[in-house]
Amino acid sequence: MVQYQAALDRSFSALSDATRRAILLRLGSSEVPLGELAEGFDMTLTGLKKHVRVLEDAGLVSTQKRGRVRHCRLGPKRLEDVTSWVAQYRTQLEERLDHLEAFLERTKGTP
Amino acid sequence: MNTAKNIDKAITSTPSDREIRMERIFNAPRERVWKAMTDPALIPQWWGRGRKLVVERYEFKRGGHWRFVVHDEHGVNGFEGRYREITPPVRAVQTFEWDGMPGHVIIETVVLEDLGDGRTKLTNTSLFHTTEERDGMLQSGMEQGANDSYAALDEVLARLG
Repeated sequence: MVQYQAALDRSFSALSDATRRAILLRLGSSEVPLGELAEGFDMTLTGLKKHVRVLEDAGLVSTQKRGRVRHCRLGPKRLEDVTSWVAQYRTQLEERLDHLEAFLERTKGTP
Repeated sequence: MNTAKNIDKAITSTPSDREIRMERIFNAPRERVWKAMTDPALIPQWWGRGRKLVVERYEFKRGGHWRFVVHDEHGVNGFEGRYREITPPVRAVQTFEWDGMPGHVIIETVVLEDLGDGRTKLTNTSLFHTTEERDGMLQSGMEQGANDSYAALDEVLARLG
């Protein structure tokens, strides 16, 4: 759990920057060459590379060089975090409905 | 969690690869269920799942913003979204986002059906946005499938017992 929290903290600090969040949104479900990724942002390729490296360190993005082109896509960490979050959402929703049911039972007879 | 006791009235399904649907039957009239779900004085009594809940913002109208903050021994968790559609006492559509996972917005649709015998059927459908979320959901769906199987087994065992 502690390890998981540390990983989450790293993810959150990587996500604290608007450009980096925009990079993740841009990557979405596809793989994008670094040069093409940079075109969508008003900054130099060097500047963009720095952001990609922070995301890569947090496991949120992974990159691979093929030929002369470096390709970026969402990293493994992100999927894992999203998976835990969705599972947590689902459990919480079920518990919430359990508590709603219990509330309705204990307030029976009121309007 | 499904148990043999309530297996017939708590159903979780995945109608499409981006949706989770939960169905519940409550032993209460529809107006009461609607009130419990939408009265800001009543929401803290169940929404926080036994934890302290503060309703920070509650603009219960189309386009209105809601924000609930849950306090427990581990800290503070904020949840928020906007109302997209409100049709009392039948249907409400809202967005749902957790502070800890910014940008991951879920669209929740709640429908209340009057069963005519003093009971109400609630159907909550959660629509996810991205393929990653879908993958996460499918994974949690597999676990749920296993739970459902165990619940069915429990029921059979109880009958035999």
